[in-house]
Amino acid sequence: MIGDGIPLGDVLLASAALFMIGLAGVLLRRNAITIFLSIELMMNAANLTVLGYAASLHSLEGQVVVFFVIAIAAAEAAVGLAIFVALFRHTETIDVNRINLLKW
Amino acid sequence: MDPVTASRLLFDAAAGLAILFACVMVVHRHPVKSVLALVVSFFALAVTYVLLSAPLIAAVQVIVYAGAILVLFLFVLMLLNVPEEIRQKSGRPIHQTLSAAAILVFAVALLATLRAHGSPGAVPGSPSAPADIRAVARLLFSEHLLSFEALSILLLAALVGSFCLARREGSS
Repeated sequence: MIGDGIPLGDVLLASAALFMIGLAGVLLRRNAITIFLSIELMMNAANLTVLGYAASLHSLEGQVVVFFVIAIAAAEAAVGLAIFVALFRHTETIDVNRINLLKW
Repeated sequence: MDPVTASRLLFDAAAGLAILFACVMVVHRHPVKSVLALVVSFFALAVTYVLLSAPLIAAVQVIVYAGAILVLFLFVLMLLNVPEEIRQKSGRPIHQTLSAAAILVFAVALLATLRAHGSPGAVPGSPSAPADIRAVARLLFSEHLLSFEALSILLLAALVGSFCLARREGSS
């Protein structure tokens, strides 16, 4: 690999910035697909933190954890998108402000 | 101040690119372009994973995230034909205000925590890549074998669940 000298502070700062952007997307957007993408982004920010600490502590456990997180994210994306497809069939919209009934 | 090395410059550039395209993803009103911006962001994140001496995770990131999950998003967008989000005043301005306040509070809390605890010890150099992957695989299939098998059952459950959810009602 390339070498060393990446400060942990840089990793944590980048991760925090990505997480904030994801949070802003979840709270401010109305399109359900974009909200879902923002959640994926937040999960990646958490992965970046875990990998930064794993590299800093010379541990491989972090990589195993991130591996599991990515696999679970795949399962979550499949189920979530299936829910959106079913929702769109019922309501013809994925604007979260107009999906305001638990039962329809 | 930390010394500036080539790998640090590369890391900062890749992280900056990831942050930039994440901003594009959140701001863009067209969902397809949002997904494409997130693909670029995830590729940049894969570069940062390589620099953090996790080449296996970088490969998984490119294959699973950029290659499978986001393509799934594109397929669903194609099926749904989602229109471009119209710029409109939300009916509840209190919602927007509270959201912005929550984001600000969270940002301040996060930065304060980083300042208090983020002791910037340098990430040390990586061992050679092939041995690294072998060690991760050994850990995965010995100590975490049970979790790995549980994960396969979870993926199966997700497969069956998404099939049931997306199936047209009435067609058996």
